[in-house]
Amino acid sequence: MDKIGLYLGCLIPTEQYAYEMALREVLPDLGIELVDVEGVACCGAPLRHINLSLTMYLSARNMAIFEKEGLDILAPCPYCHQALSEAKHVMENNPALKAKINSNLETEGLTYKGTIKHYHVLDLLHDVIGIDNIKEHVEEPLDANIAAHYGCHLIRPNDIPRPDDSENPQKLETLLKTIGAKSDYYKEKLDCCGAHIMVNESESALTKTGQKLQAVEEQGFDALTTLCPWGHRMFDAKQEDAAKVVGGSIDVPVLYYLQLLGIAMGKDQNTLGLTLNLSPTDKLSFIEEEI
Amino acid sequence: MSIIDLTSMAEPEGEQQDKINEILKTLKEDIPNDCYQCGKCTSGCEAFILLELEPHKVMALSKSGFIDELLNSDVIWTCVTCLKCKERCPQDLAPVDVIFALKNIAVASGKQIDTGISNMLQSVLGSGYIQQPKEVVDKDNKAVTRDSLGLPSLPAPKEIQKLQQVLMKAATETLG
Amino acid sequence: MVKIGVFICHCGTNIGGVVDIDELVEFSSRLDDVVFATDYKYMCSDPGARVIKEAIEEHELTRVVVTSCSPRMHEPTFQSVIEDAGLNRFCLEMANIREHCSWVHKDKKEEATQKAKELVAMAVRKSKTLEPLKSFQKEVVHDALVIGAGIAGIQASLDLAEAGKKVYLVEREPSIGGRMAQLDKTFPTLDCSSCILTPKMMDVARHPNIELLTYSEVTEVDGSVGDFDVKVKRKPAYVDWDKCNGCGECAQVCRMKGRVEDEFNEGLGKRSAIYVPFQQAVPLKYTIDPNKCLMLLSGRCGESPPCQDVCELGAIDYEQEEEMMELNVGSIIVATGYDMMDPNGMYEYGYDHSPDIITNLEFERLISSSGPTSGEIRRISDGEEVKSVSFILCVGSRDQDLQEYCCRIGCMSALKHAYLLRDHLGDEVDLNICYTDIRSFGKGYEEFYRRIRDGNTTLIRGRPSEINVEKDGSINFNVFDTMTQKLLQVNSDLVVLVPALVPRKDSGELSQILRISEGTDGFFLESHPKLKPADTATDGVFIAGCCQGPKDIPDAVAQASGAASKAMGIISREELESDPMIAWVDEDICVGCGVCIDVCPYSARELNEVTGIAEVDEILCTGCGGCIAACPSNACIHKNMTKQQILRMIDEVI
Ligand SMILES: Cc1cc2nc3c(=O)[nH]c(=O)nc-3n(C[C@H](O)[C@H](O)[C@H](O)COP(=O)(O)OP(=O)(O)OC[C@H]3O[C@@H](n4cnc5c(N)ncnc54)[C@H](O)[C@@H]3O)c2cc1C
Ligand code: SF4
Ligand code: SF4
Repeated sequence: MDKIGLYLGCLIPTEQYAYEMALREVLPDLGIELVDVEGVACCGAPLRHINLSLTMYLSARNMAIFEKEGLDILAPCPYCHQALSEAKHVMENNPALKAKINSNLETEGLTYKGTIKHYHVLDLLHDVIGIDNIKEHVEEPLDANIAAHYGCHLIRPNDIPRPDDSENPQKLETLLKTIGAKSDYYKEKLDCCGAHIMVNESESALTKTGQKLQAVEEQGFDALTTLCPWGHRMFDAKQEDAAKVVGGSIDVPVLYYLQLLGIAMGKDQNTLGLTLNLSPTDKLSFIEEEI
Repeated sequence: MSIIDLTSMAEPEGEQQDKINEILKTLKEDIPNDCYQCGKCTSGCEAFILLELEPHKVMALSKSGFIDELLNSDVIWTCVTCLKCKERCPQDLAPVDVIFALKNIAVASGKQIDTGISNMLQSVLGSGYIQQPKEVVDKDNKAVTRDSLGLPSLPAPKEIQKLQQVLMKAATETLG
Repeated sequence: MVKIGVFICHCGTNIGGVVDIDELVEFSSRLDDVVFATDYKYMCSDPGARVIKEAIEEHELTRVVVTSCSPRMHEPTFQSVIEDAGLNRFCLEMANIREHCSWVHKDKKEEATQKAKELVAMAVRKSKTLEPLKSFQKEVVHDALVIGAGIAGIQASLDLAEAGKKVYLVEREPSIGGRMAQLDKTFPTLDCSSCILTPKMMDVARHPNIELLTYSEVTEVDGSVGDFDVKVKRKPAYVDWDKCNGCGECAQVCRMKGRVEDEFNEGLGKRSAIYVPFQQAVPLKYTIDPNKCLMLLSGRCGESPPCQDVCELGAIDYEQEEEMMELNVGSIIVATGYDMMDPNGMYEYGYDHSPDIITNLEFERLISSSGPTSGEIRRISDGEEVKSVSFILCVGSRDQDLQEYCCRIGCMSALKHAYLLRDHLGDEVDLNICYTDIRSFGKGYEEFYRRIRDGNTTLIRGRPSEINVEKDGSINFNVFDTMTQKLLQVNSDLVVLVPALVPRKDSGELSQILRISEGTDGFFLESHPKLKPADTATDGVFIAGCCQGPKDIPDAVAQASGAASKAMGIISREELESDPMIAWVDEDICVGCGVCIDVCPYSARELNEVTGIAEVDEILCTGCGGCIAACPSNACIHKNMTKQQILRMIDEVI
């Protein structure tokens, strides 16, 4: 594969700019040409509370647009990735629903056939680009013990295809080891970050965030990494708020895996959006002080 | 109905139950009737400790038809969608999807919902996204935007009215 | 001239409640060559039989059509009825208007009646060309084979041997005993497992009628009921068992001593490369593990192999080779037992993350006085004292993703273990059982359950979602108790998982060798779930114990005795009547291509060198029909199920 359509969803291109910067900076060097596609919109997942039909329609709509362009999809947000996966899976198993959605898509001049694949950054790196390939690009191996947070929607539920095992995912740890880092067993790695109820139950949401971060500290990790904009927002931007809710101070550097990869590849740290991480990333030896 | 709940005088609601099951069947999920109340879902529910969501109870109430009390309760809005219940249910059931179905039914019957959630809908209808690109601050408290970071502009639906129409139509349709 | 009688059964309301019987009688009586048609409430009853017999005499019937249920159950009944009345028993044809009609079309009475008419018309049409056939006799071999020597296989062998029959008992492992030998005490009476098992094992060893073939496997079975040819592979033990007296000096000096994972102790202990599985092994003969013996792996073991040096009897023989043995038996009993599901199938329960999370079978070894710790219960990771133990039931049982069925012994095993732990460790130890429904259905089981309820065991009605192993190795989990409606945090020194019982890993291969079927759960399938629990689809092959489905010892033993008496019913006869509904070759058409010889699974086809025609061995042929489908020249014909007969039946409905 060389060309892939980039589908950012809502959160990444409206506030999680660091993820987008790192993506655009790192992936081309690994032989992936990212193509921006016009006309796409929300994946529909956030509207699932309100009406399942909206979610299904929006997911199908986005896939139909990429299909028209003849491009497979890279969906770096697990929440989007799962919505697309589920819509695809359900339509495959429920032709009546597919027909109904297609009749609506017609209004917008679209049809969904189900011919393209979609990837998340995790399987793109691990399975498509490949560990050996990545290893070749590593110039400055990172010396740190980094906890891996997958994000609920990236690995569950296992009855639809997910990029890694639902109970014992290992790809992110493998990727961390590939860039020289250590990644001990992080017991809370399958747990929720709280993001989903941030709109309506922020205190409980922040409690989750705080507990997960505290566990990272207690288990002696140097940092936490994710491949999820929702999780990252909670752990990074909301770290201070979370600390207040659970009491005490929390000091955990939080970075997107692609930022770590970029650093290990010897990239100019300015291009990886590192100034946008609000958590204390400068604690890490490999982060340049003044960017 | 041969059954009455003497604490509330409520009777099982077959119609509401059908609605839940219809949504589940669209997703090709099994219906709550198969639940044998092992409690595994609640043992691992990420929302239980903080917010008292008991997925096994949601299943039991849905199964026996006492659904109004769920629709009227805030508890269904506390699910964090960690999906652990669905992942681990030994009967292959999906409490999280039952909870989603209940929320959908509550919305359709005009129940008041959190403004944070309704705002997302308004935003998608207006622009295709749950929010517009924000100005964010960096480590040095400097405000930055997509533009200032050199990121391309956000792709948007070409004819937003058309999308709006289709979404309004889809929302009223039953799936299946 | 053919004179056909049609007899329509109501089967109570099973058929009568759906199909319009009067209309069917009327319809039948108008069919060609039908001289008499009638109905009766239960045709299979004595008065029903009388109706048929009287009609045969009165109307001089030459063919009889019974329209009722599946021929599986009652074909032999009606065959005997018409035989009593002087007809050849193969002049009967049945139309199944129950399973094929009234049961499946309950709500469509009119259509069901129409279908019943068509089924009767087809049967009548076929009956016209039925040929009277003659059964013939075949000699029966009086010996039996039992595969698997757990408690079920042992029981079956002893029953047959006591009845005076020669039994070959084939066991894969170096010793007999099976799972029961691994157990400590047995519920609900708490007898010590080896105390009640060892005497039976000794009986087997001593019995003059039992030929024990341990460390052996069945590789091939030919022939059919009454006369099976069996090939048995005898694996090399690399020890001459005629010389070995079981002293065990060799195991003491083995260079691999304490370095080989001990399967009998479920990996909790270590053994040598030369070993007996356990001290009461039968036969008490040593075996060399070819995958662990340095001599066998590399041809060298230090200066010289110590086991060989120490054995004064000169029993060690590294040159020993596999042997094949051929047996001829009249009947076969399969009793190969069960495996435990790998608990990692439910990864969230952390089996892989801590040595202190074990299975209930491992627990049996842990608490057994003959086990690796001599029955002392200590934490496996660090040998520390155990202050709390938790049991998790239904791990992978009653699970749509893993095993759908109930393991039937898990609840009782946990109750038993709780009882034993209290007994061993006293009042200080905390005991928790996380259950979904306690199933204490057996005799004396509910009473046992009450004893546990009386005691100090915390019964939590709920199931943890995951089990956590902390960095310091301590174990905890959260479980919602649906009774108290509380989320409980449980800290536990030892967690015992109760995994599903699953079919033996290789049961698929064995079922192919024996031509028996497996159910959707993978266990061997019985002929009838209620009425033929020990029979299989292959005549003369019976099943007993857990290979048919999870069960406790009492049920395994009962089924084993049942299977033995079924086998006796065959091997105690001099001759068996053979079913004449078999393949037949039209000599004018057969070109001798030999295709049938390759497809016949029973080796019943052979090419006659002189005539060049493929003949049927009437004794071996079971009438499976394989050759008939395969024969390119249509020369193979199934007696009373010919192509013409079938085409006429089809003609009748289209
Ligand atoms: C933890 C635990 C505790 C239990 N406690 C009790 C209890 O207290 N009371 C009770 O009533 N029941 C108890 N049971 C159930 C009991 O173990 C079984 O009912 C009983 O062992 C079944 O015996 P079996 O002969 O059918 O099978 P097995 O004991 O499995 O014997 C089968 C034999 O066949 C051999 N074999 C397998 N495949 C082949 C082959 N291809 N060729 C040749 N040989 C082969 C095996 O090596 C084995 O020796 C318990 C079970 C467990 C797991
Ligand atoms: S885990 Fe499944 S079966 Fe168990 S209580 Fe929850 S929904 Fe019911
Ligand atoms: S998805 Fe919702 S209901 Fe299910 S376990 Fe997670 S928080 Fe609880």
